[in-house]
Amino acid sequence: MRTSISRTVARILQRLALFALMLWIVSVVIFLALRVLPGDVAAIVAGTNSTQAQYEALRTQLGLDQPLIVQYGRWLGQVISSLWTGDLGTSLITGEAMSTRLASRAAVTFPLILLSMVIALVVGIWTAVASLTSPRAWVRDGLRVLAQVCGAVPALWAGLLLILAFGRGSGLLGVLPTQGFSSDSLVSAAASLLLPALSVGLITGAQFSRYTRSALLEVEKDDYLTWSMAAGMTYAQAVRSTGLRLATPQIISVAGVTFASMITGVLTVESLFNLPGLATILLSDISERDLPAVQTELLLLAAFFLAVGFVIDVVQAWLDPRMAGVSRGTEVQS
Amino acid sequence: MILRSLIRRWDGLLPLIFVVLWALVGLVSLLWTPYALTDTDGYSVWAAPSAAHVLGTDGAGADIATWLMAGSATEFAIVVAVIALTAVLGVGGVALSVAHSARVRSVSVLVIDALISIPTVVIALILAAPAGASVLAVILACSIVYALNLMRVVRPAAAAAARSQYVVYARYKGVSEWRIFVQHILPQVMPSVIITVSHSAATAILAESGLTYLGIGVPAHVASWGQSLATAARFVTLHPATAIWPGLLITVAVIALNILGDAVRECADPLTNPLLRGDRTQEVKN
Amino acid sequence: MKKGYSGGSALPADKRAQLTRGTDDALNAQARARTGVRAAQTGRRIVQNVWWPMVSIVVALALLISAVVVAYARTGDGSHGVSGASGAGAHSHISIGLQLAPTNLDIRQTSGTALDQLLIGNVYEALLTRNEDNTVSPGLAQSWEVSADRLTYTFHLNAGMTFSNGDTLDASDVVWSIRSMMEGHLQGSNGVANFASVSAPDARTVVLKLSKPYSELLWNLSGRSGLVFDEQALSGADGSGADASGADGSGADRSGSAYDAKTQALGSGPYVLSAYEPGVSATLTARTKYWGEQALNRRAHIQTITVRYFADPQAGLNAFTSGDVQVLAPISGTLTGAIQNDARFTYKTGDGTDKYVLAFNNATGGGSAADGTAGVLKDKRVRQAIRYAIDENAIIASRGGTDAPLGGPIPSLDPGYEDLTGLYPTDVEKARTLLAEAGYSTSHPLRLRLMYANTYPAEIGQQLRSQLARVGIDLNVQRVEFATWLSTVYKQRDFDISMVDHNESHDFAQWANPEYYYGYDNADVQKLYAQAMEAVTDSERDSLLARAARLVSEDAAADWIMNYRVVTAWDKRVRGFPLTMNQVNMPLWNVTFGTESAGAAGSSVQGGAQTARAAGADTATAAAQGGVR
Repeated sequence: MRTSISRTVARILQRLALFALMLWIVSVVIFLALRVLPGDVAAIVAGTNSTQAQYEALRTQLGLDQPLIVQYGRWLGQVISSLWTGDLGTSLITGEAMSTRLASRAAVTFPLILLSMVIALVVGIWTAVASLTSPRAWVRDGLRVLAQVCGAVPALWAGLLLILAFGRGSGLLGVLPTQGFSSDSLVSAAASLLLPALSVGLITGAQFSRYTRSALLEVEKDDYLTWSMAAGMTYAQAVRSTGLRLATPQIISVAGVTFASMITGVLTVESLFNLPGLATILLSDISERDLPAVQTELLLLAAFFLAVGFVIDVVQAWLDPRMAGVSRGTEVQS
Repeated sequence: MILRSLIRRWDGLLPLIFVVLWALVGLVSLLWTPYALTDTDGYSVWAAPSAAHVLGTDGAGADIATWLMAGSATEFAIVVAVIALTAVLGVGGVALSVAHSARVRSVSVLVIDALISIPTVVIALILAAPAGASVLAVILACSIVYALNLMRVVRPAAAAAARSQYVVYARYKGVSEWRIFVQHILPQVMPSVIITVSHSAATAILAESGLTYLGIGVPAHVASWGQSLATAARFVTLHPATAIWPGLLITVAVIALNILGDAVRECADPLTNPLLRGDRTQEVKN
Repeated sequence: MKKGYSGGSALPADKRAQLTRGTDDALNAQARARTGVRAAQTGRRIVQNVWWPMVSIVVALALLISAVVVAYARTGDGSHGVSGASGAGAHSHISIGLQLAPTNLDIRQTSGTALDQLLIGNVYEALLTRNEDNTVSPGLAQSWEVSADRLTYTFHLNAGMTFSNGDTLDASDVVWSIRSMMEGHLQGSNGVANFASVSAPDARTVVLKLSKPYSELLWNLSGRSGLVFDEQALSGADGSGADASGADGSGADRSGSAYDAKTQALGSGPYVLSAYEPGVSATLTARTKYWGEQALNRRAHIQTITVRYFADPQAGLNAFTSGDVQVLAPISGTLTGAIQNDARFTYKTGDGTDKYVLAFNNATGGGSAADGTAGVLKDKRVRQAIRYAIDENAIIASRGGTDAPLGGPIPSLDPGYEDLTGLYPTDVEKARTLLAEAGYSTSHPLRLRLMYANTYPAEIGQQLRSQLARVGIDLNVQRVEFATWLSTVYKQRDFDISMVDHNESHDFAQWANPEYYYGYDNADVQKLYAQAMEAVTDSERDSLLARAARLVSEDAAADWIMNYRVVTAWDKRVRGFPLTMNQVNMPLWNVTFGTESAGAAGSSVQGGAQTARAAGADTATAAAQGGVR
């Protein structure tokens, strides 16, 4: 295999172009789909005690009387130029700079997603390994059943149960905050995120556990585990070291998909725990018809998911050269 | 044949029993419920379980058991509709993405991969906004997203099948593209279609509960398990008991659909089901 | 995470079978692997690459969780959010939990009473002050006179007034504020009907002239219509001052005293808005030199006040019981049970002007041509049947029984109130009879749509559907986003029945305006309203309004489900928080938290709400010298 640098560069450039093309498709779809929504931001601002003249003046002021193509062009131009200016414009409804608005919300949502993901990975991998290697049969079966059950719990219900169990002011143990996000200190911030992250993380972890288990069983079909045991390891050790290592590419791939599917859970949980994250502004911006802001938020979300897919492909190719060139979904086959 | 092998295994029989019960309760609820769905009593809200109200009443004074019963009909309809739509849309998309024409193929793949990055919630929001939340919006949002997902999951296997000698030969013989897909490609990918669709059905139930809680799922006057859970969620610290049943029902239903999907796949796959190979002597293990 | 490291004996049977497959095979395979099967090498590379992050993640998580648990184990007594306690038990900081957040701070452009609640009386001040009983008393104007023909209003301003940026507030600011509001059709311009002119004969006198008498003017000037803004600061930010910055005028230039009205607020009130996060929180900090300390005897008692918004009632309650906020307004009537027996807290229901209006489409009469019911709501019997069918008391009871029944368009705090609940008592039989006359029954039900915004509870729709089903109306409830409601109902008038909480005060004009979405066109009502607006005395105005309101209610132009009343819950150490109408008017200067020593607090701090009322009474007496009221 002649892996010349130029080929790699070409591949990366090709992928980037593809990435941009996909984002453009998404931007058009988002833009058009949002125009279906009835009502506009000017009506929201004007409220139920205003005159038609007042409403018309607001529409003009907010640029809503422009033709659609102009509005689209203006928005796309703003997004593209933000790549070097960092300026995403201002929110029509709140008047804040979009960049600071998004940054402050992302500072809640991304730690939440990451914390959930860490919980999911740790719980998922550990239970998967233990469900194969535990010396006690009831532990093995129990973990399998537990993974099946926990993976089927709605995030909302998990959140409710956790609030009932640990919520401060209401729960049985009454230790953890269940409402809002406190950024006073790192500890209080982590505390506000712990229960929400657990609600999503445990469920995702259970689903993850099932995938990991089947990935490990898949690996077992090859002979690597047998060699390891022949070399003196116990079965448990073999699964834990060799098996896990070989299953890593698959685990990462599944992690990527799971990561993307977490968003609905995160939205629900942000709402349940009253966290000022991206999900909550997305919902409020849609309901207040601040469409340019919604477009930008959705595009960022889409870019994020596409980027995760992209990174997973690269990491996998790097971890396992066997996989290089094999399509893994986000790649266009020719 | 598939059904027969399905009921011979516990992981086929048990979930099947649950699903049948679920459908029956749903059917019964169309004809009879302990109270009418519209019955409310403002003077007895959040009543504890009693002989009159087996599971108590909710914040509007409606009978919780009635709403859960009626909810199972809605839930079942959602699941069936999502399965059907996801399968149809998904298989159609797969057909496009392995089409003979390179242009159709690459454009469809590109669009599928781009659209899959839009979350379910957003599609549901856009569908729900003009006329308010509706069951149809939930079904459509879930089906669209899961169909996209199915296309992506099944595509590699379908692409491999499309390169097989059968297909090359059939094409050489002038068989139409659509017949090639139905006769040679679809059977190859059927097991993974089944498993993806069954997981979609399970996920649809979870999504329904989330969307309804966010106010963009099932409308307030329609009963669904997600509806009952969302109603309970708002006052959970005061009336924790009301959150138990809908949550439990959803969880069990999701487990049942997941297990059933796995079992059906194994039973429908000649590789794992000897009965389909006409081999009666060997029984399925597990 | 430790598990037993037992040997092969504990293996499942099939695994053991695999093991027993000759050792030679395994060794051979291993040898093959060593001699260059890439996969095996990959495996080794992964060894180095994967375990590091895994291990560090686990360690980080463990540390995090233990840190959190330790931290909370130490401070678990629920006294969070009360930072910066000063002196012996008195606090200089308090957090208040509210429900509806303003969309932005631009009070001149943006509707919504959440803005009035947060800013008026705290950051911005109006010419007059609105008291807790919905009457007016001196504000920026210390007194006023009204001419005999009721067309000229002369206001005498206080001396030495300043905005929080140090700019002086005088008659020119008042004139500019009113004039620009009228010219720009800004929020509040409706409140100065029949406006003719405004001028400033001298720095402390403002003369406002009307073309026709308008009896609501003074009350309106205690709200948005009378707010006074700093001309220099506002026009600097508008970008209209082209001399200030370059051509972009994006508002990013905040040099000097200019401010961005959407995200900042700058007024003359006792508090300055020091921080604001849309939809989440706002922080008010006491001004060091507030002009009203002498002139109005108002002083901000608490140094910093954090206002937090909880859209979800449960969320608000949790924050309250856990001590994150010391006041919660509103607390849902059904949730008060949670704090009923808690010695730390108390709660009280306050009056308000929220009217849950179930409005019929009076213009088109609703219905649909498809099933031959077009215009069905023009039939008075149908409207009356609906009013008889609805059991408002059941709905109120299900919400905790804190709301008041309301029989007509005017609530108890507004002029012209009269108890009209007797006009249409709940009477299912009467409703059935009326509907039967109109040609509908439970076997042949009338299909109608109810559209309302999802900001209001789903339960109400469910109950209305249930109650109307009893008499033969099949109500299709559509709970939509507020924007959809605005577009479909408010603008396009495409509805049969709509429900909104009209929380504004003094808003009877809606029923005298056939252009409003109610589409209610009754010449008698319009005439009475016009007479009321030109009335010479308040009592004359009130009786005219009462007659008009009775007409509207008798006509069954709508059903008034209830007068929503706000229940405020507070930590018992908090005093002086306004209880009446606090969703519209929430002056916070008089609020104290903890045992403040009597000397420092002055004479007026002991009685909570009564204190505020007493202060209001004092100033009202002062106003009496000025002329009206």
